Amino acid sequence: MGSSGLSRVHVFGVRHHSPRSTAMLGALLERVRPQVVLVEGPLDAGPLIDVVVDAKTEPPIAILGYATEGEPRSALWPFAAYSPEYRALRWAAEHGAQARFIDVPVGVSLARDAIEEHGPDEAREDDEPGAEADAPRALDHDPHQRAAEARGLRSFEELWEACFEAPNYTPEQFREAMLAHAALTREAHPVPWHQARDVFMAARIEDVIAEGVEPERIVAVVGAAHAVAFVTGDLDPARLALLPEPRPSAVTVIPFSYPRLAAQLGYGAGNRAPQYYQLAHEAGCDFRHATLRALLGFGDELRSRGFAASMADTIEAYRLACALAELRDKAHPGLDELREACIATMCRGDAQPVDAFLWKGVLGHRVGKVAERIGKNSLQEEFWREVNARDLPREDQATEIALQLREPVAIQTSVFLHRLRVAGVPYATFQGSYSSSAMRTRGNQDASEAGDLSALQRMREAWEAQWTPSTDVALVERIALGNTLEQITSHVLGERLGAASSTGEAASVLMEAVVTDCSRPAADAMRACDQLAATDDDLPSLARACQALAGLVTYGSSRSASPDRSSEATLRALCTKTFDRAVLRVRPACLGDEDAVAQVPLALQTLHEVALAPQAFVDREAWLRAARELVEDYAIHPSTAGVATALLYLARVIEEDEVATFVSQRLSDTLHPLAGAAYLEGFLRVNSTVLVRNRSVVETLDAFVSAVEADAFRNILPLLRRSFGSLGSTERRYFLENLIHARNLGDQARAAAVVITTQDEATLAEIGEDLDDALGDLDDLL
Amino acid sequence: MTAIRLPAETKFADELAALGRTDDGSRPPGWALSPKAVATYILGASKPVDGVEITPKFIGDKALVEVAIATLVSDRALMLVGEPGTAKSWLSEHLCAAISGDSGLVVQGTAGTSEDHIKYSWNYALLLAEGPSDKALVPSPIFRAMEQGKFARFEEITRTPAEIQDALISILSEKQVAVPELGRIVSAARGFNLIATANTRDRGVNEMSAALKRRFNFVTIPVVSKLEQEIAIVTKREAELRADYQVEPTPPEELVTLLVTMFQELRAGVTKDRKTKVNPPSSVMSTAEAISVLFNSAILAQHFGSGQVGPKELARSLVGAVAKENADDLKSLREYCETVAKGRDGLWKSFHAEARRALRT
Repeated sequence: MGSSGLSRVHVFGVRHHSPRSTAMLGALLERVRPQVVLVEGPLDAGPLIDVVVDAKTEPPIAILGYATEGEPRSALWPFAAYSPEYRALRWAAEHGAQARFIDVPVGVSLARDAIEEHGPDEAREDDEPGAEADAPRALDHDPHQRAAEARGLRSFEELWEACFEAPNYTPEQFREAMLAHAALTREAHPVPWHQARDVFMAARIEDVIAEGVEPERIVAVVGAAHAVAFVTGDLDPARLALLPEPRPSAVTVIPFSYPRLAAQLGYGAGNRAPQYYQLAHEAGCDFRHATLRALLGFGDELRSRGFAASMADTIEAYRLACALAELRDKAHPGLDELREACIATMCRGDAQPVDAFLWKGVLGHRVGKVAERIGKNSLQEEFWREVNARDLPREDQATEIALQLREPVAIQTSVFLHRLRVAGVPYATFQGSYSSSAMRTRGNQDASEAGDLSALQRMREAWEAQWTPSTDVALVERIALGNTLEQITSHVLGERLGAASSTGEAASVLMEAVVTDCSRPAADAMRACDQLAATDDDLPSLARACQALAGLVTYGSSRSASPDRSSEATLRALCTKTFDRAVLRVRPACLGDEDAVAQVPLALQTLHEVALAPQAFVDREAWLRAARELVEDYAIHPSTAGVATALLYLARVIEEDEVATFVSQRLSDTLHPLAGAAYLEGFLRVNSTVLVRNRSVVETLDAFVSAVEADAFRNILPLLRRSFGSLGSTERRYFLENLIHARNLGDQARAAAVVITTQDEATLAEIGEDLDDALGDLDDLL
Repeated sequence: MTAIRLPAETKFADELAALGRTDDGSRPPGWALSPKAVATYILGASKPVDGVEITPKFIGDKALVEVAIATLVSDRALMLVGEPGTAKSWLSEHLCAAISGDSGLVVQGTAGTSEDHIKYSWNYALLLAEGPSDKALVPSPIFRAMEQGKFARFEEITRTPAEIQDALISILSEKQVAVPELGRIVSAARGFNLIATANTRDRGVNEMSAALKRRFNFVTIPVVSKLEQEIAIVTKREAELRADYQVEPTPPEELVTLLVTMFQELRAGVTKDRKTKVNPPSSVMSTAEAISVLFNSAILAQHFGSGQVGPKELARSLVGAVAKENADDLKSLREYCETVAKGRDGLWKSFHAEARRALRT
């Protein structure tokens, strides 16, 4: 196989997403009128060429290769309307020429990614002439940065734009310039992987020649660095051995978006502003025209936001951009001139509007379309069917969704979104639930809370949805885990359940399963709860599980995967069993030092709630007995005893006058004020309003604090601060009121009364608001 | 008699002449140099031009200077805005010197600036004796710039009341001043333009009218945040000052680094390693202030010290510079010394000791 044939082929080196490369390639194709067009793209994506060039397909799109077995992994080959590869394929289709991909198959790229642990996009993107090696940018001796600086420019991207995009070339000149540029890069950063691909692609070209096609009637469109290899004949067949064994894989075409294309700049795709280059492409690579159109867009945007931006400003900005380009020896203004001119004129020297919103205009938010004929995988089908049917957002822009969970349709939508969340498909993020029409709990909700017990009681949900190409990427990748969203969610939950080692974790999987309406993992999780409860000694975990189980029995759920009548009995039994076990673990859990019992107060509160809930079916008495024992147990950590005392007092198991006795007993030990303070902390963390309203309790507290020795006081101060610091304004007021009374501060009390009355009015106003909200909720319900 | 300070066009006459001899770019009407040569003059050249070394006058973002020059090529006026001490006036002086060969046509904006300072006034003795005549007319610097086709400068424009500022509108849009007393209109010769500066700390004092703003392109000069860059500026400018005033002692490099590091940290409110918060003083910790502190230290060393500039001189100069506006600023300086300077090695050690002494009094 001689390379003489290869040397006669029209090899055209390009940079991806480059309008000038595309225009030059177009001119070359018109002149050569090739019979076969070869394009750098995965060999096995050949059958997709028809889809890419279909009249109904609109760029930006991307070829997506993904692993079909084992660890999900994928790689993208994006195309914009001005990508030379896309132009080549279109030309071939329009002129009856054959088009083929000649790069290594997807499976090989994926295997290489796996070996080198690189990002999925890297396989393609780093073979740019702009970023040949993996991290040249970080190094001081980066030849690109040096070249740019030698020319007095700031970055390689600016240099590229000034030297290659903006000036007008003939195709021959352009080809020479590209080869010269790429040769430098290739020499500075030889990458074996790319060299192996050189050989592979050259062999594919030879294949075509061997089929009897005249080399002169072949055009090969490849990255400039590969073109250099073909031209110089630097093709050592031994390098093919570097290519790894392919992984099982498949390819498809997905819509892509401009925001995503811009975000890939890190990989050197050479596209700082996709929409700006789109404008240049549409203007036949006239960057002056593109700059003017971008500036006109900026002016509109500024005016629509209430800034003063006159046409005179726009004209001046355009003039300034051109003058700047001239001063910098550039043929035409580019992105840097656009930005600087806009700041100096339209923004009056302030870069903030440009950064905040104007620059998005040149990044663009265009989303591509893929012709229907491409077989979507079942997951994509399901996703798009649901999105269309439910009228969910399809844009690459964040959009808010509010769901009213009484309507069956909204419930299904909620299930759909929760499934996407659990399956790890980036589309919608849970924003919170509305607890009332005026106040939305937001911000403190993380993903783990999206599907917890509160999900059962939720009436409304707020989501923020945004389609990005990564949504489709995830849908394609996840197909390795199942064929439907439900299967994948079940799979994910199953794995989480497998990793669960405590009842609490299993119970939270159960909750997720109910929220995502997946019956199999729900059943599995119940079984797991059952098994784990028998051996679980961790009180907080058991308490959490009790809460979840009791919640399921009591509230049921709007979801159909929640237990039906038959399994309700099972659930009830499971809940009782877990509860009993939890009650048994109460005292052992309360032993130990502060760190050991850190989670116990919350667990006690949870158990108490479960036991005293109106529809409770668990052994309430057992809990009260256990708690009562804690109250008088001096071996346990004092804070847990404090919690128990407060809980029982609230439940009226301990009477008004009794509670003061217990508290004073605990606090009377002035030798160990630290224990007293810890007790106090536990005591006050439970519904402190009721506690501070009890005058005798307040008197006891007052006596305790006054009696502590000065030295000891310093030690317990942090604890006291923590306890009293957590009191809200209302609690403080009651506390103060009782304290004033206790100390017989009559006159001062009258003075304070004025303050209190004013605060009362504020409280009334607050209550009024709550009332309004409640009425609003009622309206919604009716 | 020698002047204390020479205008830029005199001081750098050699450089301007050399650039003029070799400049083959096209010159806009009325310009002494082509825009590219102006940029070279401001930013400096890596190799000598016609045997003359071109020193950088402005160390910083090249793009800013380019935007400024590209603005001036058209008939838009240029507005330089920024914090105090960021070399706005410095840049405007050098631009005028390079473009018009004259940086002396300046109006200094103050609360007392009147329309007379912007347009023209009269020699009242002559006016009363002979009535209005060309002889009796006293032109403002801007008026003269218009007649001569040169650049005028307007310093601190926002300190001038807004209605006075608006006198510029007709000058900038119609490029002419009417003198009704003489029944004629003076039109600007080609080459006239205006460079104004405004201080962002003054923003809102006399906000410019929208109509006037539209006559300007704005270039914001940022506060230097790169350590090396600011060290270069301080070293270079301070050396120039010492040469002008014949002050001998040269501050060691380490001392300059210490000073600039301290200024940047006080300005940012946090140390370079981002580990310690410091309390920024209310007075402006500008580059210009750093230059003046360093120069002051050199003077102290020459006249009252050993002839060596060291931490002692620096500490003493610093107190006067920082505590200008507010006694609390001394407190933040003291805190800085105790929390940051104390823990560092080398010159910082002796600086800490000296600063402690200087701050006690």
